[in-house]
Amino acid sequence: MSRLGVMAVGVAAIVAIATPFFLKPFGIYLITMWVVLTIAAIGLNLTLGYAGQVSLAQGAFVGIGAYSVALLTQAGWPYPAAFAAAGALCFGIGWVLGYPALRVQHHYLAFVTLAFTTLVFLVLRNEEWLTHGIYGISGISRPTMLGWSTAKPRDFYFFSLGTLTVLAAATWWMLRSPWGRAFVALRENPIRALSLGLDTRRYTLMAFAIGSSLGGLSGALYAPLVQFIEPNSFALALSFNLLLMVIVGGSGYFFGPFVGALIAVLLPEWLRVTQGYYLIVYAAAIMVMMALCPSGLLGLAERALKAAQRHSPRAPALHTEATGS
Amino acid sequence: MSAVLEVTRLRKTFGGITAVDGVSFEVRDGEILGIIGPNGSGKSTLFNCVLGQLMPNDGTVRVDGKVATGMRPCDLNRLGVSRTFQLLQVFPQLSVRDNLILAGQEHRGSMYSRLIGRADAGLGAAADRMIDFFRLSHLSGEPAGALSYGQQKLLDAAMAFMAGPRLVMLDEPAGGVNLTMLGHLRERLQAYHAEHNATFVVIEHQMEFVMALCTRVLVMAEGRIIAEGAPGDVRRNPIVIDAYLGH
Repeated sequence: MSRLGVMAVGVAAIVAIATPFFLKPFGIYLITMWVVLTIAAIGLNLTLGYAGQVSLAQGAFVGIGAYSVALLTQAGWPYPAAFAAAGALCFGIGWVLGYPALRVQHHYLAFVTLAFTTLVFLVLRNEEWLTHGIYGISGISRPTMLGWSTAKPRDFYFFSLGTLTVLAAATWWMLRSPWGRAFVALRENPIRALSLGLDTRRYTLMAFAIGSSLGGLSGALYAPLVQFIEPNSFALALSFNLLLMVIVGGSGYFFGPFVGALIAVLLPEWLRVTQGYYLIVYAAAIMVMMALCPSGLLGLAERALKAAQRHSPRAPALHTEATGS
Repeated sequence: MSAVLEVTRLRKTFGGITAVDGVSFEVRDGEILGIIGPNGSGKSTLFNCVLGQLMPNDGTVRVDGKVATGMRPCDLNRLGVSRTFQLLQVFPQLSVRDNLILAGQEHRGSMYSRLIGRADAGLGAAADRMIDFFRLSHLSGEPAGALSYGQQKLLDAAMAFMAGPRLVMLDEPAGGVNLTMLGHLRERLQAYHAEHNATFVVIEHQMEFVMALCTRVLVMAEGRIIAEGAPGDVRRNPIVIDAYLGH
């Protein structure tokens, strides 16, 4: 990362730590939601932005993770074990969901994953013996670990932020390793990648499995955050919302999901003054942005920085995150 | 001399059309074999069958005596067979250096050891040497997509050498490259050949390029090999002239 990048991340970290001390509980709830959804968006960015596999299933994985944690903790499992189980379960299901991606790509793959999301929704709604159907699961408690209770909003926020930091660091490590290069190669030219010895089958399945696993871990935080889950929360709308976060933030940029999730969580609140017009304004903003800058907000920032560099050749470079190194 | 690649009675049909019709040949250690022939003579199909991109209907492919017919391209590559494609195939958003590291990294350790290992898979120095060798040093950090066509062609060829392959198969390396760059490419390929005693197979249309580069030439027409020999002999062969010019 360039010096400018390190500085930006440092400032963002300070802001993220300081902010909850200036907010009311609802504000803290919102920024916690941002943290939780960022984890899922990082996962989707890995599958879609880096490895180039379109997925409309990320919301379903958040659901699977949330239900796993809710059911397991209520069955008496300690939270860390339930958290790990949610990640492992989604890794396994994601791996299997990756198989269609070996045969179909782009919009066909979008339909396969869309069908999966619908399937998961139907299971959550109809299998009442397991999921309590439309009544959902209420009274999900926030965990106490090593004597630290995360029941209060600010504590749970810091717990989530810590989890995000660890998961983001692990993802960063993976993307700067040869795997990151291999994922980009998979996106840019799978046939050439195959001829260079890349086992594209394994990398595709891995991209799906790890991305889905991050979706599950996001869900594992989502359940104790909202403390009440029901099937509708994990219907197709959430998958679309996560897709929007990745695209708006900048698909294939490491920090894209952070920015995208921030906008998707905060913009509705800021636009509340427009009352009924919120969705219209939001939709129009997305359309204008996609037309002007399909590479998202970070793509826009990179373009602006490059333009500035042309005028002053010694300005520090914003690293092209897409290479992951 | 031992055979690096041995192709026996290879046949490939598409519906009623026989694109490759029982072709047998071998590639000897350290030679540069050229395969020429008019458009539609089956050269590329032959290449794709040998390299696992297409499944042949019949026949066998052996690499160093080991049967490799229908092997997946990635497995074949790890066996030491490397290739370039007719159309340009670099990764435009990766830097020149990352393109080269990528081209070698899958030969380093296992998938999981690469995850915890170094970011450049220990290939940084080798990539820099390759960049120097192909005289691309000033472009090392540029995204490959920003290079000129000829420079990308050089990078494409360089990538095929990154894993230190046993055999490199080049599909029309000269296609669309201007004459200056072409001379440069040929000279670099010859230098690499001299330095590493590497074995190449080259499909090409550009006669001068083939005649100057190859040590032996096969001529294909209508899915068969119609002539074989030293570049000079092949050029004077009436059967070859006939196949190229028609009656």
